[in-house]
Amino acid sequence: MTQSPHPPRIVRPYVLTQGRTKAPESTYGLEAQVRALVPPQQLDRAATPEARGIVELCQRSTSVAEVAARMTLPLGVTRVLVGDLVAVGALAVDVGAPDAATDVALLERLLDGIRAL
Amino acid sequence: MESVLSDRLRQTGWGAAPRAVRQVPVAMKVVVAGGFAVGKTTFVGAISEIDPLRTEAQITVESLGIDNAGPINGKTGTTVAMDFGRITIGPDMVLYLFGTPGQDRFWFMWDELARGSIGGVVLVDTRRLEDCFPAVDYFEALDVPFVVACNLFDGVATHHPREVREALRVPSNTPVVLCDARRKSHVQETLVLLVEGALRKATAASGRSAR
Repeated sequence: MTQSPHPPRIVRPYVLTQGRTKAPESTYGLEAQVRALVPPQQLDRAATPEARGIVELCQRSTSVAEVAARMTLPLGVTRVLVGDLVAVGALAVDVGAPDAATDVALLERLLDGIRAL
Repeated sequence: MESVLSDRLRQTGWGAAPRAVRQVPVAMKVVVAGGFAVGKTTFVGAISEIDPLRTEAQITVESLGIDNAGPINGKTGTTVAMDFGRITIGPDMVLYLFGTPGQDRFWFMWDELARGSIGGVVLVDTRRLEDCFPAVDYFEALDVPFVVACNLFDGVATHHPREVREALRVPSNTPVVLCDARRKSHVQETLVLLVEGALRKATAASGRSAR
């Protein structure tokens, strides 16, 4: 596993979110797909290293859980930061279809995929 | 800050998100549950294309039902860790395997994990059968498909699946199998059984006939 090295963080996690503990839309599932809409260079110069890191990581569609794990941020903090970046148009989150887990066509596709592993 | 942000959110709106993000794969999810140290992360790691990752959620003491909840910070919060893995099924689909936190007292976190999941795998150590009771109860109450997988520690079966089935009194349509959580083929077969069960249920619900 290649983990991008992060400089040691000297602020407590919720300082990064200015004390907010809830994302504007706290509905992001762990598996919701986060995708950058801009390259990291296009971020505001004042963007935090965490914001920059998330946008960099999500140049390829990445789950919320994976963003949290790779950025070594708690889930709640990750959701708030992702929500902020969505609000400024830097990220998009695909929360998926609510009934994907009971969709016959998707389950057939998944079954074929697992058998072929 | 709060209001500025929500104003901006309202303007941006979810519906207004650029449509270019449609190549995003469909994310499917399976919950891997069981008692502490039963081999959940081993199970996930045996088939995941990435080394299992750990995501942490901070919960307040308040949410644990204990008095003396202070403001949220590292000191008054408790950290719950969940390990997970990923399997890319194709450019259009990704499967995530989420291990539940081992400690029973965090079972409420399972709602978060189970929401939108296909179902669960309950890993069982037959020497500590009672450790899996909460997981079995949980999936039964939720009425989602699940598979009971008896982990073969050291590759040895200490109990026949039939005995485990009887002891757990799981519904007859719930598979009970032996599974060496270190072996990809065993994990794969367990997941196949789970998805087959989910497919049967979905097919029955939609009134469509299976292939």
